[in-house]
Amino acid sequence: MQIKPILSALRHHKAGTILIAVQIALTLAIVCNALFIIQQRITMLTRSTGIDEAHLIRLQNQWVGVDDKHVGSLMQTDLDTLRRLPGVADAYATNSTPLSNGGWSTGIGLKPGGKGERVQTAIYFADDHTLDTLGLKLVAGRNFRSSEVVDQMQHDGLDPPQVIVTRAVADKFFPDGDAVGKRVYLGNKPSIIVGVVARLQVPWVGGWAANWEGRSTLVPRRLMASGTNFVIRAKDGQIDKVLHSAPAALLASDRMRVIPDDDGVVTFAQMRQEAYQSDRGMAILMGVICVVLLGITAAGIVGLTSFWVGQRRKQIGVRRALGATRRDILSYFLTENLLIGATGVVLGMLLAVGMNQWLMNTFEMQRLSWPWIVSGVIVLLALGQAAVLAPAIRASRVPPVVATRTV
Amino acid sequence: MLKMTHLSKVYRTEVVETYALRDFNIDVKEGEFVAVTGPSGSGKTTFLTIAGLLETFTGGEYLLDGVDVSGLNDNARSKIRNEKIGFIFQAFNLIPDLNVFDNVEVPLRYRGMKAAERKQRIMDALERVGLASRLKHYPAELSGGQQQRVAIARALAGSPRLLLADEPTGNLDTQMARGVMELLEDIHREGATIVMVTHDPELAARAQRNVHIIDGQEVDIAEDPRFHAEHAASSHV
Ligand SMILES: Nc1ncnc2c1ncn2[C@@H]1O[C@H](COP(=O)(O)OP(=O)(O)O)[C@@H](O)[C@H]1O
Ligand SMILES: [Mg+2]
Repeated sequence: MQIKPILSALRHHKAGTILIAVQIALTLAIVCNALFIIQQRITMLTRSTGIDEAHLIRLQNQWVGVDDKHVGSLMQTDLDTLRRLPGVADAYATNSTPLSNGGWSTGIGLKPGGKGERVQTAIYFADDHTLDTLGLKLVAGRNFRSSEVVDQMQHDGLDPPQVIVTRAVADKFFPDGDAVGKRVYLGNKPSIIVGVVARLQVPWVGGWAANWEGRSTLVPRRLMASGTNFVIRAKDGQIDKVLHSAPAALLASDRMRVIPDDDGVVTFAQMRQEAYQSDRGMAILMGVICVVLLGITAAGIVGLTSFWVGQRRKQIGVRRALGATRRDILSYFLTENLLIGATGVVLGMLLAVGMNQWLMNTFEMQRLSWPWIVSGVIVLLALGQAAVLAPAIRASRVPPVVATRTV
Repeated sequence: MLKMTHLSKVYRTEVVETYALRDFNIDVKEGEFVAVTGPSGSGKTTFLTIAGLLETFTGGEYLLDGVDVSGLNDNARSKIRNEKIGFIFQAFNLIPDLNVFDNVEVPLRYRGMKAAERKQRIMDALERVGLASRLKHYPAELSGGQQQRVAIARALAGSPRLLLADEPTGNLDTQMARGVMELLEDIHREGATIVMVTHDPELAARAQRNVHIIDGQEVDIAEDPRFHAEHAASSHV
């Protein structure tokens, strides 16, 4: 109703108006992108690894004074020790696990020798106990047989006759769901897909593996290296006990080993905590930035409107004398703020998209979708109206008699 | 039109109670042009703010157009100010951020009038005060006399029954004051009821009737012996 005169009046308060509009625009752009980053981090944080983390322990073991070639028997003895331990459901030895942020990866494709279309996959060394230990869900085919599990020297080519792949790998090459029995190539010799598991995350949680975090391949191999990871599955409610009894039992059977004090024996809950520490930190930082920015913007609006109300006390009184009701005065300031806010958010939407484009080019960031921007717009306009309310109410209480009194 | 009986207004601060008006009586008839005079601080402005429903009073009775206004709420008072009363202030009180057209439009917008009618009334009112050519000017670009004319146009645009003017020429030089006074006289001749506060005896003399206030009470100049003493005292206020 009074939009036109409000706009004309604002032309006489350009500096404050532009200041607030720009502040709203910047806040919108930053908050939209920050909330989007937070959402992405949270999605990442809450991603499942596909394994039964709550029951699992990783034990890092280094045999001392033993040649790689002779690791096989030590590994078998240790596995027997661990599997017999009270409270332990199962165990296996491997090169790497999800959430460890370190492991092997290679290309996998339908042609030998690295030719043809290939995708990146994580390689997990496994045996016939792996599926049960990790609690992986087999959706097609079968588990490895113990007879298929053989020793692998670190520097030999990796060409296992059998592999189990995740559905993410299987679907990439066999979208019809008939991967079992088909050949794939890690190196020069074919591997037959004997089984498909629903999900198994790669060891890396962030950055470079982001686009293939579900593509894992299990190979029936025991890595002949002096350092190995034992993955131990505890029975219900036994994990704390096993955390202590497992290293103790291994040391008791053979002292010629090193199990690091600090992170030698950890639960997967701890591994998850550590793996996502920086992502969580980033999400919290972004959240703090959002809150601070919104706070500053709200304070700016409160400050400027309060200043304007003080400055216009006389004219508010005059308007009241000329017949404005308290509501008219209230709605004047709310409308004024809405007009400034509208300018700000239009500018802010463009800025938000631009900033997102820059983030996409510079970092691994996805395209900001419209719902985020629209939510941001609603939040900022609502924030503006909320911030302006107190000074606007004060304005509406300016008595009409102010018009006749000179002070 | 405007009738106050035994009206009083007390301003209370922490230390003192000031009786700005006490046992004040006035009866302004429809179509009258009344000048209210009195020394500074005698309660003239107070009378006008109460008459114009800008302020409430402490005691007594006030009938505006036959209606007892003491029971009205803030919205009803705003509506009466908007529709029945036109204000002219000593300091003009134009809104500096709005041009002449927009200034005159202010009370009409609060009345919720359609744009076409507003425009018609604004043009008529500005024509009336001789400023139809200054629509786009801002108050700061006008002389004091012109500003007061815009203020009069603003007061007239809503066709109020009652015009209240508080020292309308107080901030103007003699020549401009004369112009404004002539305008008010014209408006009065066309049928408006005007109550004008002034301490300029010359201007007051041109009204149909004078009401003199001293110490918050109306007095008959001829009869009241206090007048001469107070008037002398007021010169050093
Ligand atoms: N808001 C107020 N608070 C306290 N005293 C006031 C207030 N407004 C006016 N007064 C006092 O009331 C008296 C009448 O003031 P006013 O009506 O402005 O006189 P005039 O217009 O005749 O100069 C003066 O003594 C003045 O100081
Ligand atoms: Mg006065």
